[in-house]
Amino acid sequence: MQTHEVVEREEDRQIVTTRVIDGPRRLVFEAWTEPRHLARWFGPHGFTITTHAFEFRPGGVWEFIMHGPDGTDYPNWIEWREIVPGERIVYWQGMRADDPDKWETTVTFADRDGGTEITLRSLFKTKAQRDHVVEHFGAEEGARQTLERLDRYVAELASARA
Amino acid sequence: MARAATNSDVFNAIAEPQRRRILTLLRDGERAATEIAETLGLAPSGTSKHLRVLRDVGLVRVREEGRQRFYTLDAAGLREVHEWTGGFERFWQESFERLEAYVKELQRTEHDDADT
Repeated sequence: MQTHEVVEREEDRQIVTTRVIDGPRRLVFEAWTEPRHLARWFGPHGFTITTHAFEFRPGGVWEFIMHGPDGTDYPNWIEWREIVPGERIVYWQGMRADDPDKWETTVTFADRDGGTEITLRSLFKTKAQRDHVVEHFGAEEGARQTLERLDRYVAELASARA
Repeated sequence: MARAATNSDVFNAIAEPQRRRILTLLRDGERAATEIAETLGLAPSGTSKHLRVLRDVGLVRVREEGRQRFYTLDAAGLREVHEWTGGFERFWQESFERLEAYVKELQRTEHDDADT
Protein backbone atom coordinates (compact mmCIF):
# COMPACT_ATOMS: atom_id res chain seq x y z
CA MET A 1 0.00 0.00 0.00
CA GLN A 2 1.20 3.44 -0.81
CA THR A 3 0.81 6.46 1.38
CA HIS A 4 0.08 9.68 -0.35
CA GLU A 5 0.96 12.80 1.51
CA VAL A 6 -0.34 15.88 -0.18
CA VAL A 7 1.74 18.89 0.74
CA GLU A 8 0.10 22.13 -0.27
CA ARG A 9 2.15 24.79 -2.01
CA GLU A 10 4.17 27.02 0.33
CA GLU A 11 2.59 30.19 -1.02
CA ASP A 12 -0.81 28.87 0.10
CA ARG A 13 0.46 27.98 3.57
CA GLN A 14 2.31 31.17 4.43
CA ILE A 15 1.70 34.74 5.54
CA VAL A 16 4.20 37.49 4.82
CA THR A 17 4.10 40.82 6.64
CA THR A 18 6.50 43.66 5.97
CA ARG A 19 7.11 47.02 7.57
CA VAL A 20 9.83 49.67 7.53
CA ILE A 21 10.75 50.71 11.05
CA ASP A 22 12.26 54.15 11.56
CA GLY A 23 15.35 53.09 13.50
CA PRO A 24 18.77 51.43 13.07
CA ARG A 25 18.88 47.71 12.27
CA ARG A 26 21.10 47.03 15.26
CA LEU A 27 18.45 48.27 17.71
CA VAL A 28 15.48 46.75 15.86
CA PHE A 29 17.23 43.40 16.19
CA GLU A 30 18.21 44.02 19.81
CA ALA A 31 14.54 44.55 20.69
CA TRP A 32 14.02 40.80 20.05
CA THR A 33 16.85 39.54 22.22
CA GLU A 34 15.67 40.08 25.81
CA PRO A 35 12.34 39.71 27.62
CA ARG A 36 12.53 43.24 29.03
CA HIS A 37 12.64 44.50 25.42
CA LEU A 38 9.99 42.14 24.08
CA ALA A 39 7.59 43.00 26.90
CA ARG A 40 7.55 46.58 25.65
CA TRP A 41 6.34 45.92 22.11
CA PHE A 42 5.44 42.28 21.32
CA GLY A 43 1.68 42.17 20.77
CA PRO A 44 -1.08 44.61 19.83
CA HIS A 45 -1.85 47.81 21.76
CA GLY A 46 -3.16 47.09 25.23
CA PHE A 47 -1.59 43.62 25.54
CA THR A 48 0.92 42.84 28.29
CA ILE A 49 3.31 39.93 28.69
CA THR A 50 4.44 37.77 31.60
CA THR A 51 7.57 35.79 30.75
CA HIS A 52 8.11 32.45 32.49
CA ALA A 53 11.25 31.27 30.69
CA PHE A 54 13.63 32.87 28.24
CA GLU A 55 16.85 31.81 26.58
CA PHE A 56 17.92 33.53 23.37
CA ARG A 57 19.95 30.86 21.56
CA PRO A 58 19.12 28.23 18.93
CA GLY A 59 17.12 25.57 20.79
CA GLY A 60 16.31 28.04 23.60
CA VAL A 61 12.72 28.71 24.56
CA TRP A 62 10.59 31.76 25.37
CA GLU A 63 7.53 30.80 27.40
CA PHE A 64 5.12 33.59 28.16
CA ILE A 65 1.50 34.54 28.74
CA MET A 66 -0.07 37.33 26.74
CA HIS A 67 -2.75 39.22 28.65
CA GLY A 68 -5.39 40.84 26.46
CA PRO A 69 -6.97 44.18 27.41
CA ASP A 70 -10.24 42.35 28.17
CA GLY A 71 -8.44 40.09 30.71
CA THR A 72 -8.12 37.02 28.49
CA ASP A 73 -4.82 35.11 28.90
CA TYR A 74 -3.14 33.52 25.89
CA PRO A 75 -0.36 30.99 26.62
CA ASN A 76 2.54 31.18 24.17
CA TRP A 77 5.61 29.14 23.46
CA ILE A 78 8.45 30.08 21.11
CA GLU A 79 11.56 28.08 20.36
CA TRP A 80 14.37 29.95 18.60
CA ARG A 81 15.75 27.83 15.77
CA GLU A 82 18.28 30.06 14.09
CA ILE A 83 19.79 33.38 15.11
CA VAL A 84 21.98 35.51 12.84
CA PRO A 85 22.61 38.74 14.77
CA GLY A 86 21.28 41.80 12.97
CA GLU A 87 20.04 39.73 10.05
CA ARG A 88 17.71 36.84 10.70
CA ILE A 89 15.74 34.98 13.35
CA VAL A 90 13.89 31.72 12.75
CA TYR A 91 11.55 30.38 15.40
CA TRP A 92 8.74 27.93 16.04
CA GLN A 93 5.62 29.22 17.73
CA GLY A 94 2.68 27.52 19.36
CA MET A 95 0.66 27.50 22.54
CA ARG A 96 3.00 25.04 24.25
CA ALA A 97 6.04 22.83 23.54
CA ASP A 98 4.02 19.84 22.29
CA ASP A 99 1.61 21.95 20.21
CA PRO A 100 1.05 19.89 17.03
CA ASP A 101 0.05 23.08 15.20
CA LYS A 102 3.23 25.04 15.89
CA TRP A 103 4.39 27.05 12.91
CA GLU A 104 7.72 28.39 11.70
CA THR A 105 8.43 32.09 11.38
CA THR A 106 11.43 33.68 9.68
CA VAL A 107 12.15 37.31 10.54
CA THR A 108 14.63 39.18 8.37
CA PHE A 109 16.12 42.61 8.97
CA ALA A 110 17.46 44.82 6.15
CA ASP A 111 18.56 48.45 5.81
CA ARG A 112 15.95 50.44 3.92
CA ASP A 113 15.63 54.21 3.34
CA GLY A 114 17.66 55.02 6.44
CA GLY A 115 15.50 52.70 8.53
CA THR A 116 15.05 48.96 8.91
CA GLU A 117 12.81 46.79 6.81
CA ILE A 118 11.48 43.92 8.83
CA THR A 119 9.91 40.99 6.98
CA LEU A 120 8.04 38.32 8.84
CA ARG A 121 7.19 35.11 7.01
CA SER A 122 5.14 32.50 8.83
CA LEU A 123 4.85 29.05 7.28
CA PHE A 124 2.08 26.72 8.43
CA LYS A 125 1.58 23.00 7.94
CA THR A 126 -1.64 23.38 6.01
CA LYS A 127 -3.62 26.11 4.28
CA ALA A 128 -6.52 25.48 6.67
CA GLN A 129 -4.29 26.14 9.67
CA ARG A 130 -2.92 29.25 8.03
CA ASP A 131 -6.42 30.57 7.39
CA HIS A 132 -7.44 29.86 10.97
CA VAL A 133 -4.46 31.70 12.44
CA VAL A 134 -4.92 34.64 10.06
CA GLU A 135 -8.41 35.08 11.40
CA HIS A 136 -8.09 34.27 15.09
CA PHE A 137 -4.51 34.91 16.26
CA GLY A 138 -4.44 37.67 18.86
CA ALA A 139 -7.95 38.66 17.83
CA GLU A 140 -10.02 39.69 20.80
CA GLU A 141 -13.75 39.33 20.81
CA GLY A 142 -14.38 43.07 21.05
CA ALA A 143 -12.03 44.00 18.25
CA ARG A 144 -13.36 41.19 16.14
CA GLN A 145 -16.91 42.40 16.48
CA THR A 146 -15.89 45.91 15.50
CA LEU A 147 -14.35 44.60 12.33
CA GLU A 148 -16.99 42.02 11.63
CA ARG A 149 -19.16 44.22 9.44
CA LEU A 150 -16.26 45.28 7.22
CA ASP A 151 -15.09 41.71 7.05
CA ARG A 152 -18.51 40.48 6.03
CA TYR A 153 -18.74 43.13 3.33
CA VAL A 154 -15.32 42.21 1.97
CA ALA A 155 -15.99 38.47 2.14
CA GLU A 156 -19.21 39.01 0.19
CA LEU A 157 -17.37 40.97 -2.45
CA ALA A 158 -14.69 38.30 -2.68
CA SER A 159 -17.09 35.37 -2.87
CA ALA A 160 -19.12 37.09 -5.55
CA ARG A 161 -16.17 36.76 -7.88
CA ALA A 162 -14.34 33.71 -6.54
CA MET B 1 5.62 56.54 8.06
CA ALA B 2 4.68 58.31 4.87
CA ARG B 3 1.08 58.01 3.81
CA ALA B 4 0.58 55.38 1.13
CA ALA B 5 -0.45 56.60 -2.29
CA THR B 6 -4.07 56.04 -3.26
CA ASN B 7 -3.10 54.01 -6.29
CA SER B 8 -0.88 51.58 -4.39
CA ASP B 9 -2.83 51.04 -1.19
CA VAL B 10 -5.99 48.97 -1.29
CA PHE B 11 -7.25 50.53 1.96
CA ASN B 12 -7.01 54.05 0.60
CA ALA B 13 -8.75 52.85 -2.54
CA ILE B 14 -11.79 51.55 -0.67
CA ALA B 15 -11.91 54.51 1.71
CA GLU B 16 -13.62 56.53 -1.04
CA PRO B 17 -17.44 56.04 -0.96
CA GLN B 18 -17.98 56.23 -4.74
CA ARG B 19 -15.36 53.55 -5.27
CA ARG B 20 -17.12 51.32 -2.77
CA ARG B 21 -20.36 51.85 -4.70
CA ILE B 22 -18.58 50.75 -7.87
CA LEU B 23 -17.28 47.60 -6.14
CA THR B 24 -20.74 46.81 -4.81
CA LEU B 25 -22.21 47.19 -8.29
CA LEU B 26 -19.57 44.89 -9.76
CA ARG B 27 -20.54 42.15 -7.31
CA ASP B 28 -23.34 41.32 -9.69
CA GLY B 29 -20.95 40.80 -12.59
CA GLU B 30 -19.10 42.54 -15.37
CA ARG B 31 -20.13 46.08 -16.33
CA ALA B 32 -19.05 48.50 -19.04
CA ALA B 33 -17.51 51.75 -17.79
CA THR B 34 -20.34 53.75 -19.36
CA GLU B 35 -22.91 51.55 -17.65
CA ILE B 36 -21.22 52.02 -14.26
CA ALA B 37 -21.30 55.80 -14.68
CA GLU B 38 -24.96 55.76 -15.72
CA THR B 39 -26.17 53.37 -13.03
CA LEU B 40 -24.44 55.29 -10.24
CA GLY B 41 -25.13 58.73 -11.70
CA LEU B 42 -21.47 59.65 -11.88
CA ALA B 43 -19.60 61.78 -14.41
CA PRO B 44 -17.79 59.58 -17.00
CA SER B 45 -14.43 61.27 -16.32
CA GLY B 46 -14.70 60.78 -12.57
CA THR B 47 -15.77 57.18 -13.08
CA SER B 48 -12.73 56.38 -15.19
CA LYS B 49 -10.46 57.91 -12.56
CA HIS B 50 -12.05 55.76 -9.87
CA LEU B 51 -11.78 52.67 -12.06
CA ARG B 52 -8.12 53.37 -12.70
CA VAL B 53 -7.44 53.51 -8.95
CA LEU B 54 -9.36 50.28 -8.39
CA ARG B 55 -7.43 48.65 -11.18
CA ASP B 56 -4.05 49.89 -9.90
CA VAL B 57 -4.59 48.28 -6.50
CA GLY B 58 -5.85 45.03 -8.03
CA LEU B 59 -9.50 45.28 -7.02
CA VAL B 60 -10.88 45.18 -10.56
CA ARG B 61 -9.82 43.76 -13.89
CA VAL B 62 -10.45 45.37 -17.26
CA ARG B 63 -11.30 43.84 -20.62
CA GLU B 64 -11.44 45.83 -23.85
CA GLU B 65 -13.92 45.04 -26.55
CA GLY B 66 -14.12 47.42 -29.47
CA ARG B 67 -14.24 50.89 -27.97
CA GLN B 68 -15.79 49.65 -24.75
CA ARG B 69 -14.03 48.81 -21.50
CA PHE B 70 -15.58 46.17 -19.27
CA TYR B 71 -14.77 45.84 -15.58
CA THR B 72 -15.01 42.88 -13.19
CA LEU B 73 -14.12 42.43 -9.53
CA ASP B 74 -10.75 40.88 -8.77
CA ALA B 75 -11.12 38.81 -5.61
CA ALA B 76 -7.34 38.58 -5.15
CA GLY B 77 -7.10 42.27 -4.30
CA LEU B 78 -9.76 41.92 -1.65
CA ARG B 79 -7.84 39.20 0.11
CA GLU B 80 -5.50 41.76 1.67
CA VAL B 81 -8.46 43.58 3.20
CA HIS B 82 -10.02 40.35 4.38
CA GLU B 83 -6.78 39.32 6.09
CA TRP B 84 -6.33 42.70 7.69
CA THR B 85 -9.61 42.29 9.51
CA GLY B 86 -8.28 39.05 11.01
CA GLY B 87 -6.16 38.97 14.14
CA PHE B 88 -2.76 38.06 12.74
CA GLU B 89 -2.14 41.06 10.52
CA ARG B 90 -3.41 43.40 13.18
CA PHE B 91 -1.21 41.70 15.77
CA TRP B 92 1.90 42.36 13.72
CA GLN B 93 1.08 45.84 12.43
CA GLU B 94 0.38 47.02 15.97
CA SER B 95 3.45 45.22 17.30
CA PHE B 96 5.56 46.94 14.64
CA GLU B 97 4.12 50.32 15.65
CA ARG B 98 5.07 49.65 19.26
CA LEU B 99 8.47 48.31 18.20
CA GLU B 100 9.18 51.52 16.30
CA ALA B 101 8.29 53.65 19.33
CA TYR B 102 10.42 51.44 21.57
CA VAL B 103 13.44 51.56 19.25
CA LYS B 104 13.22 55.38 19.31
CA GLU B 105 13.29 55.19 23.10
CA LEU B 106 16.35 52.90 23.02
CA GLN B 107 18.03 55.34 20.67
CA ARG B 108 17.36 58.28 23.01
CA THR B 109 18.69 56.33 25.98
CA GLU B 110 21.90 55.51 24.10
CA HIS B 111 22.24 59.14 23.12
CA ASP B 112 21.76 60.31 26.71
CA ASP B 113 24.30 57.75 27.93
CA ALA B 114 26.81 58.96 25.36
CA ASP B 115 26.34 62.54 26.59
CA THR B 116 27.08 61.78 30.22
